[in-house]
Amino acid sequence: MSAPLAGVNVLDLSWVMVGPASGRYLADLCADVIKVESFKRIDPVRTLGPFKDGKTGPERSVSYHNLNAGKRCVAIDIRRPEGREIILRLAKWADVVLESFTPGVLETLQLGYADLKQRNEQIIMASTSLLGQTGPYAKGTSGVGTMGAAMSGATHQIGWPDREPAGPFGPWTDAVTPRFIVASILAALHRRSRTGVGSYIDVSQAEAGIQFMMPAYYEYAANGTIPERRGVAGSPLHAPQGLYPCSGEDRWIAIDASSPAHWEAFRDLIVELHAAKFDTIVGRLRNRAELEAAIAGWTREQDAEAIEHLMQAAGVPAHVVSRSGDFARDVDLREAGHLNKINDPVFGEAEIEGPRFSLDRTSLAPTRRGPRIGEHTNEVLATVLGMSETEIAQLSEAGILA
Amino acid sequence: MLDDVRVLEVSAPETMLAGRMLADLGADVVVVETPAGSPGRRLAPFLDGIPGIERSLTWHALNYNKRGVTLDLLSPDGKALMRDLAMKFDIVIEAASARGTSPLDSIEFAPRTIRCTIAPFVRTGPKREYSATDFTVMAASGAPAMTGDLDRPPLFFPIPQAMMEAGADAAIATLAALIARDRDGLGQRAEVSARIAAMVGSFGQAIVPGSGNPEGKRTQGAMKIAGVQVPSVYECADGFTLITIGFGPVFGQMTQRLAKWAADEGHADSRIGEISWPTFISDLSARKTSPSDLQALVDGLKSLARSKTKAELAESSRRLGLLSSPVMNMKDVAEYVQYRERGLFTPVSVDADREVDAPARFAQFSNYSIEVKRPAPKLSEHSAEIFEAELGLSKTEIQALFVAGAI
Repeated sequence: MSAPLAGVNVLDLSWVMVGPASGRYLADLCADVIKVESFKRIDPVRTLGPFKDGKTGPERSVSYHNLNAGKRCVAIDIRRPEGREIILRLAKWADVVLESFTPGVLETLQLGYADLKQRNEQIIMASTSLLGQTGPYAKGTSGVGTMGAAMSGATHQIGWPDREPAGPFGPWTDAVTPRFIVASILAALHRRSRTGVGSYIDVSQAEAGIQFMMPAYYEYAANGTIPERRGVAGSPLHAPQGLYPCSGEDRWIAIDASSPAHWEAFRDLIVELHAAKFDTIVGRLRNRAELEAAIAGWTREQDAEAIEHLMQAAGVPAHVVSRSGDFARDVDLREAGHLNKINDPVFGEAEIEGPRFSLDRTSLAPTRRGPRIGEHTNEVLATVLGMSETEIAQLSEAGILA
Repeated sequence: MLDDVRVLEVSAPETMLAGRMLADLGADVVVVETPAGSPGRRLAPFLDGIPGIERSLTWHALNYNKRGVTLDLLSPDGKALMRDLAMKFDIVIEAASARGTSPLDSIEFAPRTIRCTIAPFVRTGPKREYSATDFTVMAASGAPAMTGDLDRPPLFFPIPQAMMEAGADAAIATLAALIARDRDGLGQRAEVSARIAAMVGSFGQAIVPGSGNPEGKRTQGAMKIAGVQVPSVYECADGFTLITIGFGPVFGQMTQRLAKWAADEGHADSRIGEISWPTFISDLSARKTSPSDLQALVDGLKSLARSKTKAELAESSRRLGLLSSPVMNMKDVAEYVQYRERGLFTPVSVDADREVDAPARFAQFSNYSIEVKRPAPKLSEHSAEIFEAELGLSKTEIQALFVAGAI
């Protein structure tokens, strides 16, 4: 059975993370995704690690492959008129266009939605930026995912009360936003299959981040309470729920034995928890410090994975706080085939992630490496746009395919 | 956009965002709860801090635009009603219960039905029987281990996140199956692992070992560059602001403007504004600059930030084109003029006499608008209406089912 997006063409003008990660979802669903890059302005994600064996280089970033697996890549200088014309012709071929330029840039290049729609009435185009395309601060505002996290209220809530907010790991909204872009594109594709109508989609990364923070936003909007950072992991309404130190450097086990059934199974394993003051939820909350200390005293000298197995055998929710080294031997990911070997002509073997979900009837794309800069320029110009070798050579000589 | 699509959501924390995204995009979504109420109704925070089955703000935030019925899926009657209802819907979304099983497993769905199951771990994998909560799934995602400072334990979001990550990916998986069905008329089973969904936020921790690299460590609070602690968050007059110091041809230009601004305002020596920040790192090895210059810049920024409010710093950041933004709390988010004027918010009631402005428009479309058409359903609010309209049950039959506890 053919995959959901087999036959769907995607022109990916985006770079760094949000746009490319959205394109990756579409490539996993077997869309033909053509990434547009330029040797003059390479995708900055190529400068981000991890690099194969820690050696830097534009074709050595494994993160790049994780975000661009299965795409094709053309190198085009879109600022030149001939380059612009290639983009317009590719827009005619495309069902979906993705872009993440600073708002206003594509319009200046006359490659905005209105320009693309002239060539392809049914086009679905998705733009993403820090603050969106409209509103008083939109135009000209560029930003990164740490700024999205700060402006969605996430950063404020993560940290220790006696220190500055630490914020979530990495450019957090770069992880959140692609979900809203892809869902919007797929909904637009569904509508188009019925009605023939395309769409322009505008997703602000800061606004997308707020979606994952909705309970905290509602706490302010309905109750007038501003949620603050509290540092320690685990909810004040759940005890015991927290992180406990294990043997080795920076090893932690997350245990959540707060529900009554889990608690009974859990306390059976640790003799120090048999005290009557821990019998009830109220008792455990009032004696939380003592409870947490007793658990930490028990975990401290033990191996984190051994505790995880012991807890799971008793039916208690627990998991090692996974670090990258844990993933390398994680049976859940290994047996699910989530980590896949790629073989790159430049650096050899590495591992990247597979699709984020599975479908049992229509296949998803096997995980492939990402393209090198301009790897498919000639192929795409010849087979997609029907250009002759002479035409391509002329463009190349004129420095358009650079 | 999805106005021809009907979704049955067997409510669990992990399904809530999935169902709501589809409802926001136009689908007719009905949540199916146990007669005692979905576990999502017991998620904090609560209206006025007072718990109650209609008072969970998490429930309100993630269930507007849906209707709701109750069914006891463990009873033969509930199961039969579920089977009949599913015939009338295109999509069924559920979360596998503990140990990977689902009360829907004994129901045979029509070939055109799309069934999406969310489980904590891969349902066919060795951890399929793991007991899990949102907290332990997040621990397994790889993000907390990298969040915070190394001298203290890892940091977690104070809000459940695995359920958000899984719900958003479930919306995508479901829509992908819908598009496949548009072509050939056949449904299928989609499966989402909340752990794999949440790993997106670890930004590729899982690919670190396979690419021949050592493990990363938590360094969030301050990055060490040339031996200098360079923070990303600075205290200002009324809160905190995020300032990113970068180097190289693109980000270095922003640092240049930042340094000049700090110098112009008298918070750093004029020389700091004149150093070539794009080439700072390479100049460092050539001994044209020294780590003390970077330290002076950081000290200057600390002093500059303390002298200004979040709003003042944001205004300057816009004007100068800096990689800097206010660290907004939820009050700032609610009041931000950009979100307000862009039309992010739309009102929705959470109680008989209270409305909130929901930040509902996660995307804006040229020819569609996300609207909040109805607040989150009260427990069993639409049971009678839906059982009558969809299944043709009589008033007597519906009352009999209620009396027996099946609905």
